Amino acid sequence: MAARGHVQDPNDRRLRPIYDYLDNGNNKMAIQQADKLLKKHKDLHCAKVLKAIGLQRTGKQDEAFSLAQEVATLEPTDDNSLQALTILYREMHHPELVTKLYEAAVKKVPLSEEYHSHLFMAYARVGEYKKMQQAGMALYKIVPKNPYYFWSVMSLVMQAISAQDEKLAQTMFLPLAERMVEKMVKEEKIEAEAEVQLYFMILERLGKCVEALDVVRGPLGEKLTSELRSRENKCMMMYQRLQLWPECNALSYKLLLKNPDDWQFYLSYFDSLFHLMDKSWSQPEEGEHCVEGPVQTTVAEAVKFVVDRMEEQDKKESRPLRGPYLACLELIHRLRQRGCPDEKELGDPLELMVQFFGKFGDKPCCITDLKIYLHLLPPEQRSQFKKRLGELVPLGEAGEDGFGFPGDTKALQRHLCVCQLSRALGLQHALDTEGKLRLITELKAHYHHGLQFGKSCLKTELQFSDMYCLMAAHVYVDLWTETGDENMLWQCLGVLEEGLSFSPSNAQFKLLLLLLFCRLGAFQPVVDLYSSLDAKHVQHDTIGYLLTRYAGSLGQFAAASQSCNFSLRFFHSNQKDTSEYIIQAYKYGAFEKIPEFIAFRTRLNQSLHFAQVRTERMLLDLYTEADVTLSLEESVKAMGVCPEEDDIPWDNMRDNRDLTVLVSWDPKDRELTEEHRRLSLEEESVWLKVRSLTLRLLASLALLGHAPSPRNSDKTNENGISAKSSTLQTLLSQLDQTLETAAQITEKQTQYPFLGPPSSRLASALSSGSCHCQASALQLSLTLRELETTGLDDSTELQTQICNAFKSSVAQLQEMLSRCKGEVLEMKDGRLTTRPSLLETLVFFVEKVCVNTLEAAMGTGHSDTHTHCTPAARKARVRPTTPSAVTLLTHSWYDLSGEKRDNKFINVDVRHKNI
Amino acid sequence: MDNSSLAGSLFQRWLARNKYSKLRSAAPRRQGHCIECMKHLKLYFYLHSNLDPLTETYGIPFYLQYLAHWPEYFIVAEAPGGELMGYIMGKAEGSVAREEWHGHVTALSVAPEFRRLGLAAKLMEMLEEISERKGGFFVDLFVRVSNQVAVNMYKQLGYSVYRTVIEYYSASNGEPDEDAYDMRKALSSDTEKKSIVPIPHPVRPEDIE
Repeated sequence: MAARGHVQDPNDRRLRPIYDYLDNGNNKMAIQQADKLLKKHKDLHCAKVLKAIGLQRTGKQDEAFSLAQEVATLEPTDDNSLQALTILYREMHHPELVTKLYEAAVKKVPLSEEYHSHLFMAYARVGEYKKMQQAGMALYKIVPKNPYYFWSVMSLVMQAISAQDEKLAQTMFLPLAERMVEKMVKEEKIEAEAEVQLYFMILERLGKCVEALDVVRGPLGEKLTSELRSRENKCMMMYQRLQLWPECNALSYKLLLKNPDDWQFYLSYFDSLFHLMDKSWSQPEEGEHCVEGPVQTTVAEAVKFVVDRMEEQDKKESRPLRGPYLACLELIHRLRQRGCPDEKELGDPLELMVQFFGKFGDKPCCITDLKIYLHLLPPEQRSQFKKRLGELVPLGEAGEDGFGFPGDTKALQRHLCVCQLSRALGLQHALDTEGKLRLITELKAHYHHGLQFGKSCLKTELQFSDMYCLMAAHVYVDLWTETGDENMLWQCLGVLEEGLSFSPSNAQFKLLLLLLFCRLGAFQPVVDLYSSLDAKHVQHDTIGYLLTRYAGSLGQFAAASQSCNFSLRFFHSNQKDTSEYIIQAYKYGAFEKIPEFIAFRTRLNQSLHFAQVRTERMLLDLYTEADVTLSLEESVKAMGVCPEEDDIPWDNMRDNRDLTVLVSWDPKDRELTEEHRRLSLEEESVWLKVRSLTLRLLASLALLGHAPSPRNSDKTNENGISAKSSTLQTLLSQLDQTLETAAQITEKQTQYPFLGPPSSRLASALSSGSCHCQASALQLSLTLRELETTGLDDSTELQTQICNAFKSSVAQLQEMLSRCKGEVLEMKDGRLTTRPSLLETLVFFVEKVCVNTLEAAMGTGHSDTHTHCTPAARKARVRPTTPSAVTLLTHSWYDLSGEKRDNKFINVDVRHKNI
Repeated sequence: MDNSSLAGSLFQRWLARNKYSKLRSAAPRRQGHCIECMKHLKLYFYLHSNLDPLTETYGIPFYLQYLAHWPEYFIVAEAPGGELMGYIMGKAEGSVAREEWHGHVTALSVAPEFRRLGLAAKLMEMLEEISERKGGFFVDLFVRVSNQVAVNMYKQLGYSVYRTVIEYYSASNGEPDEDAYDMRKALSSDTEKKSIVPIPHPVRPEDIE
């Protein structure tokens, strides 16, 4: 720890040991030391706060909080206490209290630059933009430093960005911000690059592109130096928005001459060229030349430009750049789109691609580059293309099996690329079963042969020939999907396991294995595979779905709960982390980053996966841990579920799942489309809605079941109950609606690419009957409520209804259970078949039983309350009807769960059985 | 990485008075590159789809810290098809008076698919140019002594070993702590190339700035 430069305050010396203890995680000692210190120095507030930090970190939140409040109400102005309280409130997730703290401090010490800036930062942490604007100005008045002034300006921009009403942003916040900057410009007080950038940002948001251009091109623009090509990029942006195509074209041209590998400028060059052609733009008379230099307006010029760039690369002695060659293909693509015959000037796409392969075929990116332009080849040229490429692959003499092998890794990479391209061209899919099996043999042979090149590879390195192995696995999957022959999947697992044994870090092997095991219903190996992927940070959001989609649905409740926890931990820390860096961005003047950071935070907060794990985690808690004999109300309250409130951003849901995490070389017509993505999100959202409504209904029932005794105040309580009942009613009708939507969605029977998103649980939930069964059971609870309000004497009809509902509920359950019976692994005629759907249905059944048990527990509680309030009725009717029905039902459930035990959660370890 | 505990940062805060008095006029936005630019936070999602075991994945705070402080030093390369090819992340630090003001390479990563295309060299060149503009005296970086491939690449790019830092990389997965080379390349401000004269004796991590 750094030594202090100036004279030590005796309090600092006294407090130091406590800091040290906290620093080392020795919270208990910190508390003791603080107590000791407080005995001697009662008014050393900071010691109290440090003690509170110790308490907070040992899980004593309430104690910590009241201790902190003791100090906070004194409105401390000493730095130590303030800083310590700030840390404490942040750890307690109460950043809003920090603002109160410094509001009080600046009142007492109105000229403190430090406290004012802390106040600004405290507002920034909670996003109080208006107050930030004021705090920034207050600071500037005390200490006229530019950054303070511009903090205030930026806060106005943030008010504009966050304004619900775009008009308010455009007519009030942004113009005000603009005027504030203009004032500084006029007074020649602009100092830093950040200030010019902020000015540009404001003008850009106001749509004042001409003014923005003037700033960038003028003297202020000279300050834009940190970033490479900052002025050019900004100009380009404005040219595009202003549709100044001549400038756009000339600037792109100029930049490409400097760096012929900059792809974005090829795009803007082509875009602007075609715009100019469409407008038949012609070079104006002399004297009016474009500020950016010569403009190109004809296809011929563009063709020449691209051809020249390629020749330049051809002549180069060092390694050629890919940009010009890809630009040539891009130009052909664009000309073809426009029906322009001039594409011939550039040459035959087939020849050009062969040429590209000749130059870059030994680089692993060759497939990624060429894949985009394969559509330029007519179908009849595909085989020829493959043949031509094959001629460029040096292979050794063919052996007995008819395969020739590459002599080094470069040749291997070329050969592999041809395989990848032929798959992307659909040539592999066109093979018949026999052809595919032969292809697999070939790929496996190449895989094994290639292993010799990677003998010295480290554990963390991949084998050069890994992709052959993966492709063989893909062909097995093709065979399986076409023929339904499950044997192909078993073979596929074998290939991948072998691959993994030589290349233990290959994430693609793991991902595909994981997917296959899940599809087969064998969850056991999945947890290990997933954890060996070592998913971190955002990966919990992007690939967490691979685990959470199947863990619960295959009955691995503990694993499901744990995987939800991993993701939740990430999401919760995001909120706190981001705020700190928003503050830093103010501090360092990285104004353009602030909206980006906020957008990032929003993207995570609105994540589909986040909402899913939140909901599933709570449902799992209710199903697996809620103690029906004790108060369910407590469990529900502890979870913080509020039945009236829907905290899921249905309209702004962000699908952050990485649906292409599994490598695929499939042809375009088999690839994941935007439509697939949309449908998958739709399906997942509806399923989430079903789950979330179920959760809220259960919570609502739990809170209702333990409504306070009506003795206290009859009227309010009745109102209370009816309000809650109406929540229940609303939720139930929402559930009904959602189930209708769900039925429509499942009718579509959307099939996603095998390597794309897994289908949601929606279809199997509906077909298992679990959804409707659950809905009717929840409806029954509502009917029971009605019985309570109607009273027992005038409700014969209602009671019959209830009895019938109970009966049909049991029947439904039995029906569901009968669907769960069967063998998960079946051996027939020497062939093994898996039926993972049995497991899924069984899980739905178990969940259903949980719901009913919870309801029964709540119902019992409820009827007890009822008996208390109408003692007379107890003897007469309540006992014989309701409880007996409940008992009957519960007994039936117990019987059923007895059966369930025989069937139970089989942890099918398919791995062992296969390999 | 930021290894300091919360209490650690608390103590530093306690020590650091008037921290806002040292306001820096700092810098700007993203720099796109080689083949096309993109928003950094989109990059963040990309990066994390990258399951390559050799590519370090940092936590959100780490990236945000760099983006908030040295956004111009964060350069990303995207392929025409939208794939992330690679990125470089760095910072400017050191005392100007002592001629130690320099650019530092914090992370350089190229996706396996896009290796052997000269991308790393291109990204390094850009980081050097930014450091030149800031008037830095040199650019430095740390690399595992065992990572011969990287050491050789940096040598080819004009870097030389300035000193060895003992046990700079902390142990993980049962592997022992590992030494680092502190490699440097002089920039034009350092006309006599004083900054890269090697220090013969190895130093400990706590002795480096």
